[in-house]
Formats: sequence, structure tokens, C-alpha cells
Amino acid sequence: MSAAVMEQPPQILARAAQGDQDSFSELIEPLLDPAYRLAAVMLADRGAAEDAVQEASVKAWRKLRQLRGDASSLRPWFLSIVANECRMARRTRWWSVIKVADVDAQDRPQPESYSDLHRALLRLSPDDRLPLVLHFYLDLPLDEVAKALHVSPSAAKSRIYRSAKRLRADLTMEEVF
Amino acid sequence: MSNENFRRELNRAFDGMSGQPSPTLARRIRSAVAQPPAARSYYWMAAAAAVVIAVLLVGVLFVANPLHRPTSNVGGPAPSPSASPSASPPATPSPSASPTQASAPFQCGTTYGPITQNGPAVAYVSDVRTGSHPGYDRITITFGNGAPTSVEVKTQTNATFTKDPSGQTVNLRGDSGLLVTIRGADEHTTYSGSTDFKTGYTKLQEAQQVQDFEGVVQWALGLSGNTCYRVYLLTSPDRVVIDAQTGT
Repeated sequence: MSAAVMEQPPQILARAAQGDQDSFSELIEPLLDPAYRLAAVMLADRGAAEDAVQEASVKAWRKLRQLRGDASSLRPWFLSIVANECRMARRTRWWSVIKVADVDAQDRPQPESYSDLHRALLRLSPDDRLPLVLHFYLDLPLDEVAKALHVSPSAAKSRIYRSAKRLRADLTMEEVF
Repeated sequence: MSNENFRRELNRAFDGMSGQPSPTLARRIRSAVAQPPAARSYYWMAAAAAVVIAVLLVGVLFVANPLHRPTSNVGGPAPSPSASPSASPPATPSPSASPTQASAPFQCGTTYGPITQNGPAVAYVSDVRTGSHPGYDRITITFGNGAPTSVEVKTQTNATFTKDPSGQTVNLRGDSGLLVTIRGADEHTTYSGSTDFKTGYTKLQEAQQVQDFEGVVQWALGLSGNTCYRVYLLTSPDRVVIDAQTGT
């Protein structure tokens, strides 16, 4: 998928930035699946995840001219917008309604079928899950993880390792990277 | 657990959490992107309107001053004569007590005011007192029915003043002076105390009323040395407090 995005001719990005909705859709649709997965893991709520991706897409459409770099920057840029939307969605939920999915995720005894790793993952904060999703689940290279987190590559590496250590204390750096 | 095993199990857990996106997600997003931005800026417009309304409300309250609080001006050059009143300091029943303003800066040789403030047509003086404190000598002029509409203090390099309306010249103790002019005030209706205090203080050596005529009350203060002073316009009760700095 990364290669697919990188192969987009720069003209598509330029046309999208000039307001061509079809070009924007062509750019963004390959990113919807990873964006949804990221949101679903951060929010532990599939409906809210789709809402967050939709809101992030609209924001990306309106702010596409602020994208710096070429089409290869689009994926980390868009995923960082999705992550921000997820944070906002969680803040909104704090003062509105606690959804059943939240209660489920937080309070319900975890099914027997869950592995220790799965249970540990659910105990992590969404911001701790984020670097793990980007690196392991979406398989982003370190420099894209760094762009999505708005940190340096070394800081991104450190965050990935720290979160992974919270899942399994005996992990070594070599096992993670 | 090897790196590959760790990664595999982690991804399995992530798969369990996320599932698949709805097949209509892409269509939903195309539709949302196609909406005109005006419909989406509703919250921003509402927030901007709320801010404007709040600013207007504060402005109206500030200008209209519904509580008719007089300004509490502490020393320093006077602001605009039409300056609106602000919150007053805590009440100070005795002129000898001023715990909150004791550290206010003194001004030397410069005119204070005239400061105008809301008040009755005539503010009746109910009491005049003097006192000596560490660092300053004080005179307090208290009003029984509200604050006077204008207060001004001028400095002079001698202690010679002219009484009004008689035109008689009076020499007060000291070698410099302050002339306190209070407009919209009356000192002969409800005040029957002394109009000439020969204090014996180091700084404020004498305070004498030099005018109480046609709504204007003036007090002349004879000082020794420099004319460094500060002014408070206080409430509860309404009063004008002037501190002359000692040791100058």
C-alpha cells in the first residue's frame, strides 16, 4: 500500500490541493483501511473509529495545502490527523456519554480466549498503543512513525520500545526492531 | 518469544480489536468531503459569536458600572478623568489601618488627578482625621453619603496657601505643601470637627481647611521636605486618604 501511494504521480496531489475532489479521493482511499485500523485500536469502538476517520478525511481535504513534502508524506500526515481525531473523540466522550464499548473495554472481564498480550494491550493507554499500531500493525517504517508522532526517529524508536516493554517486560531492543 | 512471534501475536490482538471497516466507509467519506465547508463551520461561528457577545457584555458592564463602585486609585499619575470605577479595596474602618495598600508607591512633586468618579451631587464630609505611621503621615477625609465626584492634589514648594473665598493668605507649618481639592463636597453641614490640625508629626505638620464654598472643599497640607505622597479613594465608608511619605 505504501508503494501504491508513492507511485501516485505528483500531479494527482497537485490537483487535489487545488480542490479536485476526485484526485483527493484517489489519494486518500488507499489510506482508509490503515486509518480505520489505527482509530479502532485507539478508540476500542468501531463506530467511533469510522466517525474519526471520516472527520480526519474532511480535515485532510480542507488542509491538504498545508501538507509539506511529496505524496510519500501523505500517509504519516493523514495518520497523525486520524490520531488527533481519536484523542478529541475520547475527550468529547469524557464529558458526554460513556459508550457501552468503553465500559466493555475497561470493566468487563476479558474473555478466556484473550492471550496475555491481548489483555496487556487493552490495559495500555491509547497514546501508548499508537506507536505500536503504527510500527507493528500498519508496518510503517521508523521515519514515517516519527512523522506521524511528530517526533524524531530516535524518539519514535524509544516510544515504540517503551510501549512494547509495557506489554512484555523482558523484551530486548533487538527483539522489537 | 522471538521477534516474529511477538509481532504475530501483537497483530492478532490488533486484528481482534479493529475488525474490518464498513464497506460504505469510502462512500461516506466522499460524501462528507463533497459537503460545502460552510455547513461544517457552524461550531466555529457559534464559538466566535459567543466570544463577541461575552466581550460586549463585559464592555457594557464596565462602562455602565451598574454597582456605582468608585475607582480606587492608588498614587501615581491620574488616569483619564472619565476612567470607570473598578473594584474597591477592603474596607478600612480606621484611617490608621491600611493593610492592603501600605506598599503602594509614592509620587513626588507631581499632580494627582483630577480624578472623577460617580457619586451624589454633594458628598458630605463626616470626619477628618490625621495619623502618623511608620513611613508616612496620613490624613483621611470621610464622606457620609457617597464619594465626591472629583479629587485633585497639587504640590507646591512652600506652605503658603490662599483661603477661598476670603482671599486671605495663610502660612502653614512646614516648608512645602499639598493642596487637596474635592469637588462636589460639603464640609459644613455634617462635619463639626477641627478644620486646622497642628499635628506635630515629622512630615505632615499641619492640615487646614482652606475652602468650603459652593460645593468645593480644599485642604492645605503643610509638609516638611519633599512632597512625596500617594492617594487612595476608598469605599465603605467612602473616603479620600492621602499619605505623605516620611524620611524624604
